[in-house]
Amino acid sequence: MHIPDGFLPPSVCITGYALTGGVTWCCLRQIQRDRDIGANIPKASLLTAAFFVSSLIHIPIPPTSIHLIFNGLMGAILGFYAFPAILIGLFFQTVMFQHGGMSTLGINAIIIASPAIAAYYLFQQRERLRGAKPSITTILSFACGAGALLLSATMFVLLLVTNISPDMDVNAERSAILLSLGGYSIQAIIEGVFTAMSISFLEKVKPELLRS
Amino acid sequence: MNWFYFFLITTLAALPARAFAHGANIEYRETSAITIEAKYDDGTPMANAQVIVYAPSDRATPWLKGTTDEAGTFTFVPDTDAENVGDWDIKVRQSGHGDITSIPIASDESNTVDTQLSSDGSGYTSAQKAVMAAAGIWGFVGTALFFSRSKSSKLD
Repeated sequence: MHIPDGFLPPSVCITGYALTGGVTWCCLRQIQRDRDIGANIPKASLLTAAFFVSSLIHIPIPPTSIHLIFNGLMGAILGFYAFPAILIGLFFQTVMFQHGGMSTLGINAIIIASPAIAAYYLFQQRERLRGAKPSITTILSFACGAGALLLSATMFVLLLVTNISPDMDVNAERSAILLSLGGYSIQAIIEGVFTAMSISFLEKVKPELLRS
Repeated sequence: MNWFYFFLITTLAALPARAFAHGANIEYRETSAITIEAKYDDGTPMANAQVIVYAPSDRATPWLKGTTDEAGTFTFVPDTDAENVGDWDIKVRQSGHGDITSIPIASDESNTVDTQLSSDGSGYTSAQKAVMAAAGIWGFVGTALFFSRSKSSKLD
């Protein structure tokens, strides 16, 4: 789900950087208001390590293989820390493993990290629904994991479909891109289940981690 | 007997003229072809991916378009005219994945060495990638440990 260099026109790349700059600034302001920065930075840093290395784990789903992203899980646990954490993770993935590109780092951050913020707001509904049903956390965390991934996949596919190079066989490429949505929906289920499992495990073992 | 000759002559005369031109001529010359092999970073070949080749003389218009085979390979013979000496760009795309690579092509005389070059995106081995991942992880874990150090150690 990382867009490499050369796939998007410069105007889209610059817009991506501008948007990422703005969102990072907003998130840093929110983080500044946090009373417990000292406890949350280690948490964010460890999850950045998990995000960074998860892109090396490939799951073969035709036509290509997918790698897990965990943006929903990061959003649910980290809140506003998720955006800068994913941005840093993406930077390291780009520089070390050529996943994505430097020109598309901004747009990739928007694609992958902004659904994490959406997942955070969704997961916050847990506080409001507390006491309704014990399984509500599991359902919400599945929705965070699967929803964030589907949101990312939708943005990724929309950006690619609207920016196919005219030199290419546009119809063939468009159908190949739309076909990849099938793979992403399977990935969404995998990530949803993983997010639900991780969060229910944390809730039993270390519930204070989930109260950001 | 006359009838026999009559039939023989008419049959030969009725044969199409081109049937007498069966001789074929195959000329050959040696050229340097470029074969690219496109793979995803986990090693699976990019089968049926679109390939676009741009010559150095005109980088905006595709010089050649094609698709890779099942093994992810694509072969083409670059044109070695003086105007096309330089870096040829080869773009491989499939469903939002792909790469662009430059292959230096020299003129006919000195082409033998230059076209032996092979290039694959990162060029790191699995071991190198594992060490890089470990170094990266240690960086993040170290950051976590630094920020979670206890109050007493901060005073030291």
